[in-house]
Amino acid sequence: MNDATPKRFVSTEVEVEGRVEIKLVELPAFAVTPWDADAPLTQVGHSAPRTESPLKVGGRAQYTADLARAGMLHVALRRAGVAKGRVTRLDTAAARAVAGVRDILTHDDIKAAKLSAGAARLFDPHVTYAAQPIAAVCADTREAAEAAARAIIVEITPEPFVLTADDALADGAPIARGGTSNAAFGTPRQRERGSAEAGLAAAEVTVSIHVTTPAALHAAMEPHGAVAEWSNGQLTIWEGTQGIFRVRENVARAFGLPQSDVRVICEHMGGGFGAKNYAGTHTYTAALFAKRLGAPVRCVLDRHGEQTDTGHRNSTVQQVTLGARRDGTLTLIDVTADAPMGVGGWAAGPTAFAHQMYRCPNVRTVERFAFTNVGAMDSFRAPGFVEGAVGIERAMDALAEKLGLDPLELRRRNLAERDPDRDRPYSGNAIAQCYDEAAARFDWSARRATVAAARRRARDDRSTTRRGVGLAAQVWSTGGGPPASAIVRISSDGSADVMVGTQDLGTGIRTLVRQVVAEVLGVDLARVRASIGDTAHTPYTNNSWGSITTPSVLPAVRMAAIDAKAQYDEAKATGAPLGQMQFVGRGSRGPNPDGTGIATFGVQMCEVEVDITSGVVRVVELVAVHDAGRIVNPTLAQSQLEGGIIQGLGYALFEERVLDAATGRTLNAGLHDYKVPTFADVPAIAAWCVGGADVQANHVGARGLAEAPIIPTAPAIMNAVADALGVAPDALPLTPWRVLGWLESAR
Amino acid sequence: MPAFTLNGRLTSLPTRDHDTLLDALRDHAGLPGTKLACDRGECGACTVLVDGRPTYACITLAAQVAGRSVTTIEGIGTDAAPHPVQAAFVRHDAAQCGYCTPGQVMAAVALLEATPHPSDEEIRAGMSGNLCRCGTYPRIAAALRELAANGTTPADSAQP
Repeated sequence: MNDATPKRFVSTEVEVEGRVEIKLVELPAFAVTPWDADAPLTQVGHSAPRTESPLKVGGRAQYTADLARAGMLHVALRRAGVAKGRVTRLDTAAARAVAGVRDILTHDDIKAAKLSAGAARLFDPHVTYAAQPIAAVCADTREAAEAAARAIIVEITPEPFVLTADDALADGAPIARGGTSNAAFGTPRQRERGSAEAGLAAAEVTVSIHVTTPAALHAAMEPHGAVAEWSNGQLTIWEGTQGIFRVRENVARAFGLPQSDVRVICEHMGGGFGAKNYAGTHTYTAALFAKRLGAPVRCVLDRHGEQTDTGHRNSTVQQVTLGARRDGTLTLIDVTADAPMGVGGWAAGPTAFAHQMYRCPNVRTVERFAFTNVGAMDSFRAPGFVEGAVGIERAMDALAEKLGLDPLELRRRNLAERDPDRDRPYSGNAIAQCYDEAAARFDWSARRATVAAARRRARDDRSTTRRGVGLAAQVWSTGGGPPASAIVRISSDGSADVMVGTQDLGTGIRTLVRQVVAEVLGVDLARVRASIGDTAHTPYTNNSWGSITTPSVLPAVRMAAIDAKAQYDEAKATGAPLGQMQFVGRGSRGPNPDGTGIATFGVQMCEVEVDITSGVVRVVELVAVHDAGRIVNPTLAQSQLEGGIIQGLGYALFEERVLDAATGRTLNAGLHDYKVPTFADVPAIAAWCVGGADVQANHVGARGLAEAPIIPTAPAIMNAVADALGVAPDALPLTPWRVLGWLESAR
Repeated sequence: MPAFTLNGRLTSLPTRDHDTLLDALRDHAGLPGTKLACDRGECGACTVLVDGRPTYACITLAAQVAGRSVTTIEGIGTDAAPHPVQAAFVRHDAAQCGYCTPGQVMAAVALLEATPHPSDEEIRAGMSGNLCRCGTYPRIAAALRELAANGTTPADSAQP
């Protein structure tokens, strides 16, 4: 090293799910020219079929629970069943006597290890939520493990507990999990730009609304699970995870191992949606038993455990006040929001949306987060923004009504071309086009009038159905960023492997990675194989969260392919036979542009039909237009759009975890009583992307897409129900009994 | 347990009276394509065909299929020669995470065998017993509409 050696590593700012983090960046060894809108691309931007589809439709894709290692043992967990208290008796004698039982773990066995999963010490006798695991059984079969777990005799001295933010933050409230207060994450957390006082003074019209949003469950089809196997002092974990390297680090730390002695493999996983980012009870338990027993061990949660102890989208109570001039120009956005977090999690604040969505000089938000006695919340597809959009977008419609303005026109008048939160330009922003194209396809203005006329006729005819239309918009940071690295290896026949340490939740990243390599090398897609999801064979990239995977990983992959191709071309030019030679290229993700916001935008419009006798809401049609920069694979993007919309529809209409106030237990922990959308609930959906290559964001031109589409769906549906019934819905989900209640109170 | 036909072959598995068909398939027959997701008949991820009818394997006892014919996802097609439903699912990107997909495919196979040219309404009714958390329903609908229009003879699956 001397002074002339260029710097390899610098620090940079990266936004992940609304948070700004400082990251170490490896500066790319060479600059890569962006693929601009006119770049003649033959693979990227085209709909290649999803790489793993044949395996998935054939039942041959192997998930964690499908793995059968020779001599593998099975685990069942025993949960507290009491929201708060202290374990005074834990008698495992009867459980040990169950045929096939090999080992039992309680707090006494692992005290020294100091393991925690989520916010609780593993098997902690201080119980802080009803689903908290307090013991685990390992047996020859799942059946024996479950029988033995039930046979453990548990006595818990119950203590007072809290479930709502209001109760938790009241004077003299029971302490949910330790310390002297339930106030969490810097509560109250206040942010203000401009002056709320000035905004109110400038307002000619104000509206103030109150909304509540439900606790929602990820309910991935594949429960959390891990298989652990020790060999020669090294540990291999198979786990369905959004972060193979994070699980590796978690496990290495827990067991005092060098990270290189832990290998984490995730070939396929059955959904994550934000809840599978870390090692959990299942991981540590499988690894501990495997170590103690010298055998491979599988720990997969049952459905009840999956629905109660793997995170959730926290509920919120929001008060939103908007002030505007008579022409609709916003002068004030003022939000207070309370959120019960369970025993841990992180502050996915519901008010970031209020700062980012509209151009408004005066924005004040106050958030109160409270620890409560339920399992910890966890990130869930666009955390915070989904909840926050409900309050702001409902308030925008209330304001439009008061002003006598079309809700679409009100939004257009307050459109934020620049990032209003941090006063900087966006790398690209086609939200105006999103409004235009959605309105054209939906025929917004004419349809609004037609539906209103039909509603008047329906009233006159004493029809039992009413139709309405609604819309909502969305912003969500999706720049991704470093660190992400990739290796591309070209074999002598010109075929290539790409190795990248990401993982596929079902978004299709394998396919996108292959498309980029095939594009650079100019070879058929079939000549490119992607290796992902294995810490032993891939260079590091971050978790698949915050819609960062596409904009983070693909530039690194592209650079690695360019590097490998240059070597391959040079070698070929020598005229010498290539033999078994391979040409290995490295790529890394460079820093994001300074002073630039990078976000995905979108607008959704829908029509609903409400049966006013039953209160049932049916979404008839939904139009969605989003801008996520270049779309690398339109078919896979379509699947992400529809998937987000359908999850948003569930959040709007059905999904609400219900806690028993008397016990703190979840009353609807199954897939029957916690209803997610079914085939029959899905409306006609027209969804597409506009915008195209974003060369300011990164040299591939793509931003993240996976989370954004869920954000506007619920408020659009809520606004359509308000339009249909002439009521002011103040809570999600829009269940029949809530709808009937609003109709009753409007009478 | 008494013999039954599994994917065309007469089979007997060492199951006990209280074992479910799902456990018999996954743990004893070595066929993990049929998925365990709720274990209580709520989601459809374990859908198999019993004498051609779509059946939740997690709430069916293995003993109940004695003398009957069970078809699982492993029994309807191969990589080289996928079932037309499987080929249509691939063409229309009807699997995201893929965990519910084998059950969806089996439900679709059963629907098309009973109703070769289903209406949209029949597709909706026939597929509503299978949950997909990723939200692939519109893609599944597109695949089934195409099959409803074109039929499901093996030649249909020969398209790329």
